[in-house]
Amino acid sequence: MPNDKNSQKIVDIIKNAARKHSLFVLAYGTGCGAIEIPPTMTSRYDAERFGIRGMATPRQADVLLVTGYLATKTLKRVIRAYEQMQDPKYVIGFGSCTINGGMYWDSYNTIKLLDKYIPVDVYINGCMPRPEAVITGFIELQKLIAEGKADGATKYKENLDWYRANQKKVIKNWNMPDYNW
Amino acid sequence: MTENSLDKEQQIVNHLVGTFQNLTGKVKRNRRIEVSIEKKQITSVLNYVKDHLGFIHFSHMSCVDWLEDGYFELVYILWSPEQKIQLLVKALVDRENASVENADMIWRQLNTYQREIREMFGVNFIGMKGDKEFILEDWDNMPPMRRDFNTVDYIQEVYFERPGREDAQNVRETISKRTGEEIPEVATKYSRD
Ligand code: SF4
Repeated sequence: MPNDKNSQKIVDIIKNAARKHSLFVLAYGTGCGAIEIPPTMTSRYDAERFGIRGMATPRQADVLLVTGYLATKTLKRVIRAYEQMQDPKYVIGFGSCTINGGMYWDSYNTIKLLDKYIPVDVYINGCMPRPEAVITGFIELQKLIAEGKADGATKYKENLDWYRANQKKVIKNWNMPDYNW
Repeated sequence: MTENSLDKEQQIVNHLVGTFQNLTGKVKRNRRIEVSIEKKQITSVLNYVKDHLGFIHFSHMSCVDWLEDGYFELVYILWSPEQKIQLLVKALVDRENASVENADMIWRQLNTYQREIREMFGVNFIGMKGDKEFILEDWDNMPPMRRDFNTVDYIQEVYFERPGREDAQNVRETISKRTGEEIPEVATKYSRD
């Protein structure tokens, strides 16, 4: 929330500083990119230096890392996991598959533009991105959080109808519960 | 036995040709045999080679779409661990309302392959258990692995496309000019244009 001088309030600065140093990532991997997560998290690259660590359930996690191509079937699960996450929540799109379809651009069953279905705060390109790139992406996200610009979740709530319409276009049998955050 | 002797393989082919009517077979190469049978013989041939010729291991089943000829070709790939020979059993099925007898009582794992082929090619396996969808969810179009399914049309209709890549141009040079980056020689050597 910006104040009247259009900068962050002090309480937000403190809040965001705390948030950016404790990013809990939902341990959920799709596509091939998930294989880069173990080296990122373990001793070689040690992402926990930055406060990034895995978390078991959506409700406890802050970051949803979409690590690659999403079949429409997986997209349904991803949306469901995303909607169960508590605020504040962020999404990182990982790999060219989430950006423009990557090498699955002509697959009959994978979506191409992740940001049409869920709001993406940071994209990491590469097929697949190396752990260095992954960590760079996380640092980018931390910067956005510190500046108060990582507002994907707010956008999602505001434009829910638009996102829903896109989601329902590919998920034909929509039998999911409505969450009222 | 020398390396190139195909006696063992030829014997099996001769045996099968003698046993079944309308069966043609040939030795493809060392350790590989191929036989073509009729659709109604599938279960009996599979049962026979399993029980009497030692092809007890079922490796794979696949389907080939012969669109121009109007056939699906089902291929059962079997392996004999004792003789170390691979056997390909092929059967042609009409493309229109394709249906074959279920064979998953011979090898249980055939069920999985048959369900996949039913979903991806639309071949119906008569008497097979498991009506539920297998991999695709809520698919209401033509089975996607059929060759007359136009994937590009379908994705353009259903999915969004990131604008800017329609012409598939090599933008490396433009970007390098903007950022002052030097393009290494190998990159230009193997570039598309
Ligand atoms: S971007 Fe590359 S590595 Fe990542 S999911 Fe797609 S194909 Fe796999």
